[in-house]
Amino acid sequence: MTYTLTRADDAVAEEARYPLEKRQHVADPMREQVHRSVFTGKLEEVLNSTVNWGRKHSLWPYNFGLSCCYVEMTSAFTAPHDIARFGAEVIRASPRQADFMVIAGTCFVKMAPVIQQLYDQMLEPKWVISMGSCANSGGMYDIYSVVQGVDKFLPVDVYVPGCPPRPEVFLQGLQLLQDSIQEERRPLSWVVGDQGVYRAEMPSQRERNRERRIQATQLRTPDSV
Amino acid sequence: MNVDHTDTRATSALDGRAGSLVERLSERFGAQLLHEQATLTGMPVLWVAREALLEVLETLRAAPESFEMLFDLSATDERLREHRAAPPAADFTVFYQLLSVSGNRDIMLKVALDMDDLRLPSAAGLYRNANWYEREVWDMFGIRFEGHPNLYRILMPPTWNGHPLRKDHHARATEFDPYTLTVEGQDQEQQALKFDPEAWGMRRQNENTEFMFLNLGPNHPSAHGAFRIVLQLDGEEIIDCVPDIGYHHRGAEKMGERQSWHSFIPYTDRIDYVGGVMNNLPYVLAVERLAGIEVTERARTVRVMMAELFRITSHLLFLGTYLQDLGAMSPVFYTFTDRQKGYEVIEAITGFRMHPAWFRIGGLMQDLPKGWDRLMQEFVDWMPARLREYERVMMENSLVRDRTKHVAAFDTANALAWGVTGPNLRATGCDFDLRKKRPYSGYENFDFEVPLGHNGDAFDRGQLRIEEMRQSVRIIQQCIDHMPAGDYKADHPLTTPPPRERMLQHIETLITHFLQVSWGPVLPANESLSMVEATKGINGYYLTSDGGTMSYRTRIRTPSFPHLQQMPELMRGGFVPDLIAHLGSIDFVMADVDR
Repeated sequence: MTYTLTRADDAVAEEARYPLEKRQHVADPMREQVHRSVFTGKLEEVLNSTVNWGRKHSLWPYNFGLSCCYVEMTSAFTAPHDIARFGAEVIRASPRQADFMVIAGTCFVKMAPVIQQLYDQMLEPKWVISMGSCANSGGMYDIYSVVQGVDKFLPVDVYVPGCPPRPEVFLQGLQLLQDSIQEERRPLSWVVGDQGVYRAEMPSQRERNRERRIQATQLRTPDSV
Repeated sequence: MNVDHTDTRATSALDGRAGSLVERLSERFGAQLLHEQATLTGMPVLWVAREALLEVLETLRAAPESFEMLFDLSATDERLREHRAAPPAADFTVFYQLLSVSGNRDIMLKVALDMDDLRLPSAAGLYRNANWYEREVWDMFGIRFEGHPNLYRILMPPTWNGHPLRKDHHARATEFDPYTLTVEGQDQEQQALKFDPEAWGMRRQNENTEFMFLNLGPNHPSAHGAFRIVLQLDGEEIIDCVPDIGYHHRGAEKMGERQSWHSFIPYTDRIDYVGGVMNNLPYVLAVERLAGIEVTERARTVRVMMAELFRITSHLLFLGTYLQDLGAMSPVFYTFTDRQKGYEVIEAITGFRMHPAWFRIGGLMQDLPKGWDRLMQEFVDWMPARLREYERVMMENSLVRDRTKHVAAFDTANALAWGVTGPNLRATGCDFDLRKKRPYSGYENFDFEVPLGHNGDAFDRGQLRIEEMRQSVRIIQQCIDHMPAGDYKADHPLTTPPPRERMLQHIETLITHFLQVSWGPVLPANESLSMVEATKGINGYYLTSDGGTMSYRTRIRTPSFPHLQQMPELMRGGFVPDLIAHLGSIDFVMADVDR
């Protein structure tokens, strides 16, 4: 598996564009460790996956909504879909307490600086789910007041398609985020090892499911319930 | 004064009372009433000289059966018009739509403006809600209103260049450089959004205290979306507040100018995004009026049924969040369970949950599926007991009552002055529901009541919506019991898309089908307007066709816009928790404010 390495930069130039962090594609850092020393390599692998296991099952979402998608996101939070099954029901009203932010809705030109501010207020480790067509790409709103995709300025981890996506799709997006967190390599402490953040480049769902999806030729008729 | 009858179908609204009104006005103002335009709007449309505008407005407001409400105010950029039937020459037209609740009638005034002289006297002194509408016209068209207290941009960011609804302003984001945000740009934008009390005529302190300015939003759990309100506080007491909107402006009106009549339907769903097909209704009604389509009985009844179902799901969302804003955590879990049940029916019938875009010009997307009545009946049987439970557990709960009784109360006169409609108006005891007063889509055939409140406070607004859900359940039950048979699409050349069976018979019908689906229907040049009692109040679509496949101007009047504008007056002297209770009780979504 290949990884994306992100390193924080202390000195930020005025004209620098968001997203700020430098990113590069690298090989799995853990493999190198293992080759260097069997014992410390194994230890770090165990520690890493334990920490990641803890992180991915206690994701606290930031209570942040922009438009229609937020209603479906709320549906996922309530009883019929029950997001608590995935350990992500502790909604935080402050970005400082939240682990991930769902851009649920259209990203407006007037709102973009505000979203950036809120993202900056979240503490590492933090993730972003882009929910719905507007946040993914602008969707059906190719219009003067809408930013054509929130990834124009935020680093997005998972894209959830739909207009709006059903709550089930959002939950699947959350699970994909969890899968990717399990594969992450983050510094275990500020004195242990490399201080970069290594994010696994997860396989695209479209490519993975394409074969199976095009097999479907018999679709249910809409003429009866 | 002359009346033109260029379009034979256009009925000048010179019937009885309206006629005498126009006559009285023309007696009084003579040559300053330039012209009466014949349209399909169903109301007299009068062109007024700019100099006489305020006086005419004043007269209409003071007349017996007064026009108490400024229902809508916006403009049209006329510079690219090809089929303007009526003089006077105008580069821009500003229109004022007035509503008389006591007389149950409307009138529209239009003022022609020249490109070199884009200014008008402000009507904010006469109608208080003109304030925001005029700011919107300034923002979108660059027309100045003299005497306006704070003519700032309202929807676009303060750093924006240009006026988006002008025809020479770009429509697409992709016509432009891709959006980038730099560290410096971020700082500048944030600085521009910083609140300046002096600009709003607010003092930073009085002789006793220094006021605190609290920024609530644009992201706040109780703000129901991207809404910002700046509070001037003396301790917990709100001295004044300034709502700031525009964080949810999706340019729906500009979008209407580039989508075909048919392909704009999905955009209407996303105006009041919890209202679903309820939003399609005023739009397709207005288009059908332009096209002259008479819809079948079955299509009308199905429309009513689905619209009422969405009224229930919207009110359920309201109820859950309203109570959550008051501090009750669990109701939202219950109401969302009910919503899920509603969505199961909606999905089975329309194939989509929130934005079905299911109504079509001339009918529906498809007929009801087999077995719909069983599903719908299950939902109708499920609801009454739940509604009773909400009432028992929450509305009879002393905590809820203490938090909401006599909070943010206003009377009917105040509501009308601010353009408040829908349940918020009826909570003041004013019996004005378009479904009864001007039945559309066959509402006259249904047996239902219009629930009314007494005090116009946050409690009544909540209680009334529970009652409204009961009435909607009643209407749906009648739809199940008496669903008429017949076609789900009207037999009319402009029905879009045309019935498929017909396309396979003849090369001509095949071509017609192809053109209508690819380019969209061509509607005759005219103007039409349709208003419906939507989930949050009166939603109106005012369409101007220039004889093309697209709308020349789509004006969307949404109920939530004036509801938010009214807030400062209600909140002065209140406490912060009252503001939260009031925010919960208005029932707004930001897309319905900013469009």
